[in-house]
Amino acid sequence: MTMTPRLRKFALTAHVTSSVGWLGAVAGFLALAVAGLTSQDAQMVRAAYLAMELTASVVIVPLSLASLLTGLVQSLGTKWGLFRHYWILVKLLITILATIVLLLHMQPTSLLAGVAAERTLSSADLHGLRIQLVADAGAALLVLLVATTLAVYKPRGMTPYGRRKQHEQRTMSQP
Amino acid sequence: MSQTHVGPDRGSTTSIPRWVKVFGTIALVLVLLFVILHLTGRGLGGHTPPSSVTEHGVQQP
Repeated sequence: MTMTPRLRKFALTAHVTSSVGWLGAVAGFLALAVAGLTSQDAQMVRAAYLAMELTASVVIVPLSLASLLTGLVQSLGTKWGLFRHYWILVKLLITILATIVLLLHMQPTSLLAGVAAERTLSSADLHGLRIQLVADAGAALLVLLVATTLAVYKPRGMTPYGRRKQHEQRTMSQP
Repeated sequence: MSQTHVGPDRGSTTSIPRWVKVFGTIALVLVLLFVILHLTGRGLGGHTPPSSVTEHGVQQP
């Protein structure tokens, strides 16, 4: 199934917007996680963790799902395909893995926000969890940068399935 | 004549590209490290808080 040029451009716009938006939102999440871990201002720490939960649930999770969905539409609706090129396959795996890890890490984010909503956090409170959120957000940012780089550079390499499909198409187009 | 490849008809080498092998190796090492750290409990922190921390507010009247 191949999309019309107009639909393809719309799908591409949606995919780029959601993917880059996801990257930017994770950068903001990382800034809040660092502020929550290092700030000496108790109100700033509470505000950071409350904002992190809101950012994650209202912005990051929807954008990650939108990025995955629009990526699937974009690849299946064009001649690029989903399993024909290694860079698309790797990007798909990255997106699926990042989305799963993100959904799993909503629990510690909500936990911290819940505590921050009730009382002031001392620097020792949930320290390991707070460090983990910084590390996770940093890792997520790195992974999303890799995915963005793959999408821009499109490194060469076709999968065996892609080569077979290409061979079939060439055979069919020859008289 | 030089031609810029912008379409999907590119990269028809028969073997797995070097970048995929390097990428796969790095990913495998990172995933193994992540799993080992979580299984041995040496991660940066669990998903549930230590009991002493959750009881922080209760312990101090």
